[in-house]
Amino acid sequence: MDTELIEIRDTLCEYEPFSYLQEDSQLNDMVRDIEIQYLRKGQVVIAPDERNTALFFIRSGAVESRNKDGKLSHRMQEGEVFGYSSLLRGGRSTLSMMAVEDTLVYCIPSRWFLHYYNEVDAFSDFFELSREARLKAAMASQASDLSLMTCPIHTLLRRPPITAEQHVDILTAANIMSQERVSSLLITADDKLVGVLTDRDLRNRVVAKGLDYHHPVHTIMTPDPITIDAGDYASEAVLKMMSANIHHLPVLRDGQVAGVLSTGDLVQRESNSSVFLISDIHKQYDVAGLQRISKRVPQAFVQLVSADANTQMIGNAMSHIGVAFTRRLLELAEQELGPAPIPYCFLALGSQAREEQTINTDQDNALILHNSYDKAKHGEYFAKLSEFVCKGLDECGYPLCTGEFMAMTPKWRLTLKEWQALFNQWMNEPRAEALLHVSIFFDIRGIYGDLTLAKQLHGYICRQAQQQKGFLSALARNANKRTPPLGFFRQFVLDGEGKQMRTFNLKSRGIAPIIDLVRVHSLGLGSSKLNSFERLADIEAAEILPKGRARDLILALEMIGMVRIRHQAEQLAAGEEPDNKVDPESLSEFERRHLRDAFVIVARQQDFLKYRYPGKGN
Amino acid sequence: MAWFSNTEKFQYLNRSEQPKPWLPTEGPAADTPLAECPLVALDIETTGLDFDNDDIVSVGLVDFTLSGIQLNSSRYWLTKPKSHLSSESVAIHEITHSDLAKAPPLHTVMDELLPLLAGKVVVAHFHHIERLFLARASERVFGSPTYFPMIDTMDIEQQKFYRPWWQRFGRRTSVRLEASRLRYSLPRYRAHHALMDAIACAELFQAQVAYHLDPQAPISDYWL
Repeated sequence: MDTELIEIRDTLCEYEPFSYLQEDSQLNDMVRDIEIQYLRKGQVVIAPDERNTALFFIRSGAVESRNKDGKLSHRMQEGEVFGYSSLLRGGRSTLSMMAVEDTLVYCIPSRWFLHYYNEVDAFSDFFELSREARLKAAMASQASDLSLMTCPIHTLLRRPPITAEQHVDILTAANIMSQERVSSLLITADDKLVGVLTDRDLRNRVVAKGLDYHHPVHTIMTPDPITIDAGDYASEAVLKMMSANIHHLPVLRDGQVAGVLSTGDLVQRESNSSVFLISDIHKQYDVAGLQRISKRVPQAFVQLVSADANTQMIGNAMSHIGVAFTRRLLELAEQELGPAPIPYCFLALGSQAREEQTINTDQDNALILHNSYDKAKHGEYFAKLSEFVCKGLDECGYPLCTGEFMAMTPKWRLTLKEWQALFNQWMNEPRAEALLHVSIFFDIRGIYGDLTLAKQLHGYICRQAQQQKGFLSALARNANKRTPPLGFFRQFVLDGEGKQMRTFNLKSRGIAPIIDLVRVHSLGLGSSKLNSFERLADIEAAEILPKGRARDLILALEMIGMVRIRHQAEQLAAGEEPDNKVDPESLSEFERRHLRDAFVIVARQQDFLKYRYPGKGN
Repeated sequence: MAWFSNTEKFQYLNRSEQPKPWLPTEGPAADTPLAECPLVALDIETTGLDFDNDDIVSVGLVDFTLSGIQLNSSRYWLTKPKSHLSSESVAIHEITHSDLAKAPPLHTVMDELLPLLAGKVVVAHFHHIERLFLARASERVFGSPTYFPMIDTMDIEQQKFYRPWWQRFGRRTSVRLEASRLRYSLPRYRAHHALMDAIACAELFQAQVAYHLDPQAPISDYWL
């Protein structure tokens, strides 16, 4: 071929799966067979049931795929390919593909797609792995494309820049912002960026000061804003935004304004797949459908890990996913059994209530019934309802709780009054042994039904617990039963069995002790927070720990939590069942050192707990 | 083509008038709807702008229709100039003297090129270069000038964005190929390569049609 199409070939080779064909002698012939199409925004590229004969590569712009009921399934942008699933099925497309921006596509004839699909393993692997699974594979090879570290900023820009000339008045600028629905406006002089105007500036510098709206906009803009280049990595944008405490960052390409990056764009990037997952959960009409969707949860988890999300974000996302499954199952149960005869509230307990769920958690839940509950009349309904939900959750990858802390267990379906009486009993006659197994009930969150029932019960617990010193010290003693795996001279103590001899359990000996001791302080404080990080923030503000110690615990929880989450993500990537058992030899020197420090912090805080809530006996 | 001043006036043909027939074969009928018309995007790089003294250095073309650009029809030629290539134009085109020393003479290229334009409407960005240089080359090689209907993407852009001077403020809208493409969100290509510029021009025309032209209108509404 003429080497003159090299620019087109090179562009293709910058992206998977074409990067695997770089050395292929026939690639030039494939490039010659490309047809270039221009699609105006709104134009349909592939209609459902239409015969598709090409693999499409997005050279610029963006394309959305929607399923038959018009629900968005994917949004694809520069460098992504589509149309392959219909080619692999030999023809008709089930999705509709529409350009959502002015788009340029390269259409690669299906014979070339099928040729490489048969000939080049790396090429076919790319299509066989689903979108999420691709991330998983990428993470396993330590080269995550999704990571903010390697994600160029231009891929995050969602629309062309909205600008105004510096001499327009404030009113005009504000009108542009509301018409375009943007929270920031780029101010230019002769097409050069000279400033930024945000919603906050309008509030603080105009409205709050009673400034005349007819002043030119350059008098209130932030002049000479910090900018970033479209080719830079998103991680640099995060650093710039954090260090300057700004939420909008103008992006330049070759010195010209190319767009604005907002914190929202970055967050959206991080949690995309969990969001899709949750919306898919609500579209399922039976347990089998939910079970199918649940297979994607591990991938969403791995994606979050590889996107460098912190433990709080991951815990939050995984809990929302768990809650979404539960809610959908309850809706399905009510469809099958009819509406509930009396108000009730479905409770999440433990990690889900604290929004700290990870990947391998069994279900912990309970039911609060309205005080008008009559066992003879309503008993059967709620027995069936909770069995439907708990067994459904079991099928969706949330195994039945071995301790039977489930709505399915009759003794955990109580009226509000009964619950209050039970908590009273636990708190008034605290025996550590009796409390040991029920600490999970002190973290409750209503997730479905009449949420005021859950609020009333939780409020009751928070008010009562604070005054029961005996109860708090019994809880404190329990919290100290599980100690960090550190021996003399700060070496790790291994507690595994059998094949996993050389491991320790990060959950029971690292995370649980922190959560337990944080819960004691939080209840002692009367805080109504559930999330451990939020509880620690309250504890820090209340200054009940020596200065800096609450912050230490936050870091320790994040550190141990992250090692555990990475361990689980690696297990998933290797096709293993995730667990909490970590071999210290498998950690880097850096991780080992920090883990040791974190354990020391936990041990010290356990000592402090004894001192703060002294109890009788041990 | 920045080296041309935008203010320079060119004598366009009266559009209602059928262009003079061109030499190799007939073009498409004047009433062919734009959507059905075979098009070919053409770009010629030269040693300078004086068509009497400067030479063609490279030619790129690609066939297209409104539904797509077929890369397998793309062609690219270098041609050996008779005059010495100045170092400035070497820099612009990224073509070296040794590339050109090996290149075929102009008449070989013209023999291959003209049949590929037959039956199609030629699309170029700032069509004067292509029209004038090809006419002169044809005169040299065949003894008479070619003349064929053309569509000019720069002219379309100028008409679209034309504003009398009293309405202009600040910087004027650039109608250069690169700047025009950006208005339609088309990607940035390496400029001044005859084939990539021809492809870029074909893409631009597709975008222009999507925004400004009527695909069902007769081709004679648009050709020059």
